[in-house]
Amino acid sequence: MATTEVASEVTGSVWKVELEEGDHVDEGSVIMILESMKMEIPVEAPVAGKLVDVRVSPGESVEEDQVVCVIQS
Amino acid sequence: MALQDRIAELQVREERARAMGGEEKLARRKAQGVLDARERINYFLDEGSFIESGLLGVSSVVPEDRDHTPADGKIAGFGRVEGRPVGLVSNDFTVKGASSSLTNMKKISHVKRVATERGFPLVFFGESSGARMPDNMGSRGMGTLLGNDASQYVRHRETPWATAILGQCYGSSAWYACLSDFTVMRKGAVLAVASPVLASLAIGQHVEPEELGGWELHSKVTGLIDRVAETDEEALDLVRTYLSYLPSHHNEPPPCLAPDSADDEPAAAVTDILPENRRRGYDVRKIISAVVDKSSFFELKPRFGRTAVTGLARLNGATVGVVANNPMFKAGALDVPGCEKITRFLVMCDSFNIPIVLLVDTPGFVIGIEGERMKAPGKIMNFMTALQMCTVPKLSVIMRKSYGQAYLNMGGGRNSDEVAAWPTAEVSFMDPEYAVQVVTWGRDLPEAEVDAIKREMDRDNEVWGLAEIYAAQAVIAPDETRQYLTRMLEIHSMRRSGGVGQHRLAAWPTTF
Repeated sequence: MATTEVASEVTGSVWKVELEEGDHVDEGSVIMILESMKMEIPVEAPVAGKLVDVRVSPGESVEEDQVVCVIQS
Repeated sequence: MALQDRIAELQVREERARAMGGEEKLARRKAQGVLDARERINYFLDEGSFIESGLLGVSSVVPEDRDHTPADGKIAGFGRVEGRPVGLVSNDFTVKGASSSLTNMKKISHVKRVATERGFPLVFFGESSGARMPDNMGSRGMGTLLGNDASQYVRHRETPWATAILGQCYGSSAWYACLSDFTVMRKGAVLAVASPVLASLAIGQHVEPEELGGWELHSKVTGLIDRVAETDEEALDLVRTYLSYLPSHHNEPPPCLAPDSADDEPAAAVTDILPENRRRGYDVRKIISAVVDKSSFFELKPRFGRTAVTGLARLNGATVGVVANNPMFKAGALDVPGCEKITRFLVMCDSFNIPIVLLVDTPGFVIGIEGERMKAPGKIMNFMTALQMCTVPKLSVIMRKSYGQAYLNMGGGRNSDEVAAWPTAEVSFMDPEYAVQVVTWGRDLPEAEVDAIKREMDRDNEVWGLAEIYAAQAVIAPDETRQYLTRMLEIHSMRRSGGVGQHRLAAWPTTF
């Protein structure tokens, strides 16, 4: 079973977390939405699988390349 | 000596040259999973197409080296890629670190001259330790070897150059990488002015090779490379792919795949990708992929200057260069690396007759102290001048935001041959989010009045004004984009010059 770490591509803050740990994701599913430069930046699942670890909460700051969640597939 | 004996001697000498730096060194490379210089040639070229130039060349500076310098450490010659000719230099690191000396410099010079005069691309497999010592040492060494070719490092972009950085690259192999139109780097290779050892000796700086000039530095920070590969083979495949989009020389249009081999599906997915909400980011690469021929998008510098996306693609089989803003990064606001990336890309497209498609969604240029310190105004004007000097067809599509000077830089007004806009386009000097604050600055207005001003600005920015005064030549539905661009490329094809532009950027610098 492979695990995939999903990293933020931008520096910003977490606006909304759309899915919960245990949820199934398809490739391209929006897991959370970040806010950066007054834009809403979706974090999408790069692979299908199960969301096993969500490491950030709404309002939290995130850095570029920071792992924000993990998918098991 | 009898003829047969002479022929036998030729064979002996050829075998000695093809043995390169010896079995032991070659075995070490194999154990590391790295191809040797001849394996790289065999992998890269069409099978059996290599004809070598200077196989029997050896050191002509140090007599004692003659028997230890097969091919003088740089294998040169000609071959074919997908049936088209190329010139090639493959550095053989097993022979004195493929260092530069008199014979091998003459070989490079010859292959380069032939490629340029006869009109075909030049490909370098970079892996070289720099100038050979003691050959280049002393005033006589310098006066004899380096500096005697006035065209050695001139880039006129008459034929495409591509480099695969496949090991340590210092000195000439680093210079040729930087002069190339396309440069791919294999992970673990190094591109730097001088080696970490020299850096340590000269300035006392202890640095790891990867830190000095590894793939992460060059793909993310300097932008000196276009792609990263995991293996030698992947790097060589990427060079072949790159060349498939390019003409052999600047006096012919790029190759066009037969219409039946191109994917002519409509861009049905575009409206699914573009968010309804103007504040929602999306990855513009998905839109590009939905517009161009399926699987044809070949991105350049994907990790560098990510506010912009540049790459080659095909529309109905014909090569196009795509420049797009990417709202996923800094809201698509163009920063200095983004400007540098686009400028270099425009130079390449203009030099090789590649029409340019601009996909626009940008709130403007990134402002603030960091950009100013990186010479943002100068970079913006380099980009602007490059766009205006391009003589290849330029087609601009305003997808969403196009504000301020960035409207001009992304082809607005007469800065492209055709401007089309989607109904979602919005154009003005400044985004209403900020403009409303500027025009009400210092005035204590009721919130309702401020809202009314902003609503009016939003209305004024809608695409219809642009269409009514013919500043956009067409308003198209997003799903019509592929069809529109294909048709417009046909209309704007450079018939009077046989598809060849004026190449006014051909001698521009290679780095901005």
